[in-house]
Amino acid sequence: MILTAESIKQIKESAARYPHRKSAILPAITIAYRQVGHLNDDIYREISKIINIPQSEIAEAATFYTLFPKQPVGKYLIQVCHNISCALMGADSLVEYLEHKLAIKKGETTKDNLFTLISVECLGSCATAPMMQINQDFHENLTPAKVDKILADLKAKG
Amino acid sequence: MFYSPVITNASEAAKSDKLHLFRYVEDPDQVKVATYEQHGGYKAWRKALTGMSPEQVAETVKNAGLRGRGGAGFPTGLKWGFVPKNSPKPRYLVCNADESEPGTCKDRVLMERDPHAVIEGMAIAAYAIGCHVMFIYIRGEFNHSIDRMEAAMREAYAAGHLGKNLYGTGYDLEMIVHTGGGAYICGEETALLNSLEGERGMSRMRPPFPAIEGLYACPTIVNNVETLATVPHIINHGAEWYRKLGTEKSAGTKIFSLSGHVKRPGNYEVELGFNLKKFIYDPAFGNGIIGDKKLKGVIPGGASTPFLTPDMIDVGLDYESLTVKGSMLGSGAVIVFHEQTCIVWVLLKLIHFFHHESCGKCTPCREGTAWLEQIIHRIEAGEGHPGDIEAMDEVCSNILGRTICPLGDAAVMPIQSAIRLYRDEWQYHIDNHRCLVDTRFEFK
Amino acid sequence: MADSTKIETPARTVETVTFTINGRTATVAKGTTVLQAAHGLGITIPSFCWHPKLKPVGACRMCYVEIEKMPKLQVSCATEVTNGMVVFTESDKVKQGRRAIIEFTLLNHPLDCPTCDKGGECDLQNLTFAHGYDDSRFAFQKLRKIEAGVPSTFDDIKIGPEIVLNRNRCILCYKCVRANKEAFGEYDLGAFERGNHTEINAAPGQQVDNPFSGNLVEICPVGALTNTDWRYKIRVWLTDQKASICPFTSSGTNIQFYVERHKNRIFRTTGRRNDAIDDGWLSDVTRYGYQIIQSPDRLKTPLIKKNGKQVPATWDEALAVAAARLTEIRDKKGCVCVGGLASPSLDNASLYTFNKFMRVAMESNNVDYRTEYRRLPSSLDNPYDIAASQAFTIADIDESDVIVVIGSDLVREHPNEYLRVRKAEQFNRSKVFLLNPLSTKPSDVAALELVHKPGAEEIAISAICLAAMESGWASGVNADDLKSKTGFKKAADAAGACGLDLIEIQAVARAIAEGKKITIIAGELVTRSREREAIGAALCNLNRVFGVDGKGQMAILARHANSVGAARLGLTPDLGAGFAGALKSIWGQYPETPPQNTDAMLAAARKEELDAMILVGVNPVMIYPDREFAREALDKLDFLIACDLFETETTQLADVVLPLAGWAEYRGEYFNLEGRLQSAEPGIAPLNEARPAHQILESLAEQCGSPLFAGMDQRNAEMEKILKVDIRRPWPTGLIEVKPQPQETAPERTVALIMGDDPHHSGYLTEKAPSLVGFCGEAYAELSPELAAKLKVGAGDSVRLEAATGKIIVPVRVSEHIDNDVVFVPRNFMAAPVNSLVSRKQRVDWVKISKVSD
Ligand SMILES: Cc1cc2nc3c(=O)[nH]c(=O)nc-3n(C[C@H](O)[C@H](O)[C@H](O)COP(=O)(O)O)c2cc1C
Ligand code: SF4
Ligand code: FES
Repeated sequence: MILTAESIKQIKESAARYPHRKSAILPAITIAYRQVGHLNDDIYREISKIINIPQSEIAEAATFYTLFPKQPVGKYLIQVCHNISCALMGADSLVEYLEHKLAIKKGETTKDNLFTLISVECLGSCATAPMMQINQDFHENLTPAKVDKILADLKAKG
Repeated sequence: MFYSPVITNASEAAKSDKLHLFRYVEDPDQVKVATYEQHGGYKAWRKALTGMSPEQVAETVKNAGLRGRGGAGFPTGLKWGFVPKNSPKPRYLVCNADESEPGTCKDRVLMERDPHAVIEGMAIAAYAIGCHVMFIYIRGEFNHSIDRMEAAMREAYAAGHLGKNLYGTGYDLEMIVHTGGGAYICGEETALLNSLEGERGMSRMRPPFPAIEGLYACPTIVNNVETLATVPHIINHGAEWYRKLGTEKSAGTKIFSLSGHVKRPGNYEVELGFNLKKFIYDPAFGNGIIGDKKLKGVIPGGASTPFLTPDMIDVGLDYESLTVKGSMLGSGAVIVFHEQTCIVWVLLKLIHFFHHESCGKCTPCREGTAWLEQIIHRIEAGEGHPGDIEAMDEVCSNILGRTICPLGDAAVMPIQSAIRLYRDEWQYHIDNHRCLVDTRFEFK
Repeated sequence: MADSTKIETPARTVETVTFTINGRTATVAKGTTVLQAAHGLGITIPSFCWHPKLKPVGACRMCYVEIEKMPKLQVSCATEVTNGMVVFTESDKVKQGRRAIIEFTLLNHPLDCPTCDKGGECDLQNLTFAHGYDDSRFAFQKLRKIEAGVPSTFDDIKIGPEIVLNRNRCILCYKCVRANKEAFGEYDLGAFERGNHTEINAAPGQQVDNPFSGNLVEICPVGALTNTDWRYKIRVWLTDQKASICPFTSSGTNIQFYVERHKNRIFRTTGRRNDAIDDGWLSDVTRYGYQIIQSPDRLKTPLIKKNGKQVPATWDEALAVAAARLTEIRDKKGCVCVGGLASPSLDNASLYTFNKFMRVAMESNNVDYRTEYRRLPSSLDNPYDIAASQAFTIADIDESDVIVVIGSDLVREHPNEYLRVRKAEQFNRSKVFLLNPLSTKPSDVAALELVHKPGAEEIAISAICLAAMESGWASGVNADDLKSKTGFKKAADAAGACGLDLIEIQAVARAIAEGKKITIIAGELVTRSREREAIGAALCNLNRVFGVDGKGQMAILARHANSVGAARLGLTPDLGAGFAGALKSIWGQYPETPPQNTDAMLAAARKEELDAMILVGVNPVMIYPDREFAREALDKLDFLIACDLFETETTQLADVVLPLAGWAEYRGEYFNLEGRLQSAEPGIAPLNEARPAHQILESLAEQCGSPLFAGMDQRNAEMEKILKVDIRRPWPTGLIEVKPQPQETAPERTVALIMGDDPHHSGYLTEKAPSLVGFCGEAYAELSPELAAKLKVGAGDSVRLEAATGKIIVPVRVSEHIDNDVVFVPRNFMAAPVNSLVSRKQRVDWVKISKVSD
């Protein structure tokens, strides 16, 4: 089993809330993603058993959404918004800056498995651009100094 | 607790007797039910539930002239009226908090800083349509909004604003916070409902409209966060008061997200009809263009609305005036770019987005957005062919109005307007294999 | 128009709307879509994603039409006709719209038509030809979907035993996934990823191997889904189509063979949609079963036993030997010495000829077609046969608001009706109730599934009757009478006795009582039961209590392709005075001898009281529910003639073996379970030296000195007369006594064995169809996870099943859907014959089950 007892409990609770069981698919994959950091076929199979929905239905839904990586990622998943408002404020150069700082290309993970860098569509922080999301947190109004500090803090935390 | 550092005009709102959505958004305690109540919160909900019939509530909102703030601007009270009166099926209310239209970041402020206003609006709307289980669908990336809304919901239950036998009336109302998975299309109401049902977030054919057959094939109303957050104020102050705000056909106030090359990007609540030029240049709002450069263009209503050139910006920010200019109010996201912005580059960003977000159900949108991105990408890379502009324009017309949901339209309207308004620049790009202006935005 | 609009339009609408299309005015039922209305008027509108039996989704956008007062083009597949609507299907705007869709659709399509098997019947190819551009403006790298590291030809991947997928050719019409879920309730195929990266594929880690999977290939508009059955064997335009009927189930599913005449070979089977029967969906057995006919294992010549060994012979030799021995035995003094069994899958002419052969040429009443059921009733006037003879209409399932399935594992016995039950639930929100000794497949659409103790069918039915009476829903039924006839004082007692919850029993009773249109289906678990008469009696009472016949239908469904024909043509031993009299007047003679049914014949043979038997298309050793009993009986015969397509465990015992032609090799007529007469064209001429049964029997009769007919006309005229005899029996007007014969108590450490068909293996012949073997090649034991855990077995392990009569060893399949106290084993597998575990005397077969350790 990949999912922990706590995740399974949360999934069951969420399934019980909805008028129809199938609505629990998205909450279930969200809970699994929060625990594991990514999704895969084995996780779909486990969820399928817990909420009694065919595995393919879980996989069909999960692969529709881009929020959940389908491959393992580093401990910190850095998602830089590259959409128009952020791009006008230098998002492309922010990505380059991060590539340089982390010594990886977009889409890659650092050797120490700490950081994965990707760029994503608009994250709803258009008036505080440029921005990036690291795991659950948004970091807005970014400047090189801020980015340096954020990375340094995370590295220190390990 | 974490807030978005976004600038608002809360202090103006606090002084104004017209602005109401933003009055307390700079008060860190506003998220607590006690503070919210002190500021007059949940009075409207109590008033509606204990003193008004559902029809009266809907009628009031209809008379106030409130129009949907999610993008389409459909009259809210009218929509509520479409719910069949004597259907034996349960009815559902869904608050659309998927906020994913590039440029738009207003609903997030309300959820993070005034979550009870959203709940109160939802509750009143739920009552107006006879719903006992209501949902808020929040985009999955908005972790802080999700936490805020969940915390507020728990408080609201504890304070007796949600749950069973509310205010002793016998009315029950449950609320479920549902979170998305990263898909712009799930902001489109029928795709949202599919997503909520656990299906892939693909749009549905209409008819049947959600108000007749929506969530779980039951009558369902989908409303935007801002739309619903406005409702308590209308109940408190009356339809007349609201109707007098804004313009005749675009009543009320609206939050505009201002982003791009302005000195003071932020979220600002203004009366509808507010002058766009003033909005960009007034120190209380955009305070002019970064580096005092020349303005090149504005997207007035989010990534899916047609462009305005500098000569067109002396216009009121309301549904009608923008339509006259060939654009739309959309979700109220004003994106500003200055003279050193390559229009092809802008369109590449936009079409990449729409291609990425197309759900894949209908052929024109699925295939057409991909093709358009390939053409624009080629032009942007300096490899455009003669005839590309015409081809693009034709592909756009083959998508416009021919798709299941409006995402297809959203993808092509900016392209068609950009071709119309900036054709020379496209041509320059193709002929000279490079940008007319050097577009390089450093982050600093 | 009517047939294409049948299901999507609200049931039995009277309301109509009038509209104009291309200048013509027409009136159609309200709720009809523009596309359907147009098709009905002979106006074709091109489409990819529309399917007459699926809900419209409006995805492909090929079906645009222009409608006056609507500025945008509309998709006709999802737009309902309204009064006064003015539609144009061929305006310039429509043509431009279609062209644009073809252009979009072809953007990422590989255009690999020369190597694509769909050529000649590809919607994309045909519609491009009709509506597209003749040039491409698309100058970019096409999107390729290729499995990393999997070497394949033309980007094909195998996603099931039969199905090959080429994702690049897929135009994302979603028909396959929709049919799989909506119509079949299957989840082994899905659409994954998003936008134009969306791809159809097998569910992760699974195979597309559901019992209806072949339909996915048939409905794919392009060459994205193909099957190994047909791929790269022939171009479709080189084949002719021959209309036939499925011989594997009793629905009479309409099929067509694709035949190459010069090669005398069938290349595939597809549907020939008949909405009254099959909606165009075929089970895989129906689709791939034709392969049996062309199996290299077919018997090539007649065989005669010489010195204990069967050796090839000519027809003349074989018939001469057979006739000589039969006449000799027939004419023996003082005994009825010949018996015969025929397959209920044979055509009418063969069955009728068989009957006349037995009764006139052999002067014997030992005639039967029911070889696979234990302890048959001898006369037809019994409650089981009353319930089995009731009228039933397949299409009426669709509109029933309450459907109850009793004693039938529907998908295994009646795949076609199984789909109709699902459809009723999907489109009509019908309430489905299942009452079985094991959980069965449509449980996912069932309002309630009641799983009772094995061998307690009649008690469960009585419980429903009692519950109705107690709640006041059974008007006109005397309470005391019901109690005494059922043998229970209270519904609760009956419910307890069959292991069910009273509340659930009440829910079923309530639904039947309140239902406006009811369908009650009983199936093979009733037919096969030793207590079929008691269960039949309970069903008669159910009808009486609820007045089912006044508001719907109830029947024990016939099981085989021509079971109804066999019954109507008199292939049972004791026909009763009326029927026998009718035959006598046609034939001028009728045997006086005592009639013996299958059971009695085999028992007599065992006691050497029967000397000879003739078997036509039946394999009693494999299908009789007591293998050893059947084998011993046949072994003791002085003379056995077996006609079959293949060498079987039964033909091995025969003195003369005659190669039989199969259903696809000659013209035949069949009655489906509704009593609908349908005829099947031959696909090919008989292979090798095989001959149709009726021809063999006629020759044999002639050689025996009793020619049957002066010609075909005589035979047909006689059949026509016989078919006028009404064998339907009315429901009893009062309650009848149910003599519950509860199951024998389970011996220590045993579980109840339930045998039935695997959905991909029906009858003893389908092991000869390579495609079907690809789905299910061997028998297995289906166990609950709990039982598997107790036995410490899992996938890959085998178990030994033992009964007094025999034992078999089979691999294990663990299923979430089976209960702990039963094990399911599919029958008719040569290598693991499960009928060796059953006894004709038992009601429930208890088996010991243990792990085979290696
Ligand atoms: C592609 C697309 C995306 C949309 N995204 C959003 C969204 O993120 N939030 C929202 O409130 N409405 C969104 N809408 C509009 C909704 O479909 C719907 O009209 C709205 O939620 C109704 O609420 P309102 O009447 O209060 O505006 C979107 C529409 C389309 C076509
Ligand atoms: S595989 Fe065939 S049926 Fe399935 S979506 Fe693709 S084109 Fe349609
Ligand atoms: S057939 Fe109408 S959209 Fe496909």
